[in-house]
Amino acid sequence: MNSLRIINKLGYGVCAVLCGFLSIISYGCQESTTPGMQVSATLDITPSPPTVGEADVVLTLTGAKGELLTGGEIEIEGNMDHAGMKPVFSKLTETAPGKYTGKLEFTMGGDWFVLVTGQLADGHQLNEKVDVPGVKSQ
Amino acid sequence: MTVLDVERPLERGDPQSPGANGQFDLLEVPLLGGFLRWRWSRTFLQLPVLLLSLLMIAHAFFGPQLAPKNLAALLTWVHFRGLVVLVLLVGGNFFCMACPFMLPRELARRFVKPSWRWPRILRNKWPSIICLVGVLFAYELFDLWGSPWWTGALIVGYFAAAFAIDTAFERASFCKYVCPVGQFNFLSATMSPLEVKVRQPDVCHECTTKDCIRGRHDVNAPCGDQTIILSELPIIQRGCELALFQPRKVGNLDCTFCLDCVYACPHDNIGIIARLPGEELAGTGTRSGIGNLDKNAGWTVLTAVFVFGALLNAFAMTSPVYVLEQEISRWTGLRVEWPILGMLFMFGLIIEPAILLGTAAAVTQYWTHSKVTMWGIINRFARSLIPLGFGIWLAHYGFHFFTGALTIIPVTQNACRMAFGLDLLGKPMWQMGGLPESVVYPMELGFLGLGLLGSLLVCWRIASQFNSQAPTKAFFPWSVVIITLFVSACWILTQPMDMRGTFLGG
Repeated sequence: MNSLRIINKLGYGVCAVLCGFLSIISYGCQESTTPGMQVSATLDITPSPPTVGEADVVLTLTGAKGELLTGGEIEIEGNMDHAGMKPVFSKLTETAPGKYTGKLEFTMGGDWFVLVTGQLADGHQLNEKVDVPGVKSQ
Repeated sequence: MTVLDVERPLERGDPQSPGANGQFDLLEVPLLGGFLRWRWSRTFLQLPVLLLSLLMIAHAFFGPQLAPKNLAALLTWVHFRGLVVLVLLVGGNFFCMACPFMLPRELARRFVKPSWRWPRILRNKWPSIICLVGVLFAYELFDLWGSPWWTGALIVGYFAAAFAIDTAFERASFCKYVCPVGQFNFLSATMSPLEVKVRQPDVCHECTTKDCIRGRHDVNAPCGDQTIILSELPIIQRGCELALFQPRKVGNLDCTFCLDCVYACPHDNIGIIARLPGEELAGTGTRSGIGNLDKNAGWTVLTAVFVFGALLNAFAMTSPVYVLEQEISRWTGLRVEWPILGMLFMFGLIIEPAILLGTAAAVTQYWTHSKVTMWGIINRFARSLIPLGFGIWLAHYGFHFFTGALTIIPVTQNACRMAFGLDLLGKPMWQMGGLPESVVYPMELGFLGLGLLGSLLVCWRIASQFNSQAPTKAFFPWSVVIITLFVSACWILTQPMDMRGTFLGG
């Protein structure tokens, strides 16, 4: 009976801690968008459609009025839709106003998404997601 | 007071009890054995898994909706599945033992005693077959592997179903008749090296109380000055809720490793004992709580879903399946996925097994001049496919687990960062993945090879029992089926992985 009481008390204690933790998690996890401004991120990938292997990527960043966003420090992170896959990263270089280029290694066929993060010239933090469906295996 | 039919527990170390026959018994292992013998060991294992499940549910609904960064998606589809098959391979059905879905019902049963018995018409494997096919279908249709929200909904649904069914119905109705994961584990556990079984059958022959199935009653309960019947006394330790009577239990089918029988046995005569994996598959005759597998169509269909579902589930993550789906779409003009997926499932889980198993049974019947019906032959031989089916699941789930095991570290670090705004566990180390594919691929082939060998051995054993004069005639057609499935699985493994949610490219 003592064991039972201990387990009961343990259960209540753990539930209380967990409720607190869940509250924090629900508060802390917000949708990832670029705060404070409207940004459009367009990703052009060569070869098209994208295929497993190294690809050339050109990211075009535009603001709310279609103006090109220049002078950003941009990184991209490629992920598969399936959990358990290691992401791939690449740092982009601005090669023309508002156009950032770099390489990205698609390691497996399937649906990918690319997270675009970094800082714009005006100090805004960039946080966008671009879907890259159907990367071909061959 | 007179108490009828009571047996007192034996003391530990009694010469009648444990391991006298020299078998390896997990319950005799120092520390671990003592822990498992502890009445609350199952609850102790279930509690952390329950907490983890709640954390996963929270992250599924409130965390990032990106599967590779979400604990629910990652732990469910990579770690849980991988660890389940690996633990079944090297141990036994310990995941059912630690199943968190049972805790809420245990709590509820303290307040509400279930009053209904599971409907007689559903006391078979058909409800769980429907659930298993449903989960496999939903997995592909809703791309559960890529959806934290749907993964969370599935976990919640599981908790709700287990709670509702086991609160309303007596015994372990959910585990025995409904749970698709449980059925998967039962079939896989036939390949496990450990089994909950009687240590010394002679002790059971002399046992009069049968507490392992009936439960242990409180012989000290106040009952006045009248003669009492043992079965009317309160139960202080339940017996097997899955109706497996230990002396007549054979193998791991339907056994959740809950160890209720171990705690209930007054003779300390039940252990977790080593045995030859797969040996039970060739067994004939009636099994307690299950019946005769040779006459049980439900188990055969469940086996077919288990084996052919393994191929279908692996095939669905390769490039050719999308070409096939697009072709079907072009032929039929269908632009929605579910009917096309339905056709693939219809072929993979009904037509293909019917053709292969039916042909093998017909040839066996013809060559051996057997009077056993074709369905009877299928019932007998279908079990030989289980080792290969388990090998395919191992190869598939093992691939995801071994290539992505360490991704749990950065995902947890990231979850902590998002929850608290601080890198309490350090900065996410996204470079952590797992073993390279080039290393995992030979392991996958090894799992398939083991499965092939196991299936052929079991098949030969069954064939020898089926026709002792000319076992080759019975063995040959089934070995062709086994080798065909093995070659198919190898072909699937060589196909480029392609994990897409939108087969029409939309």
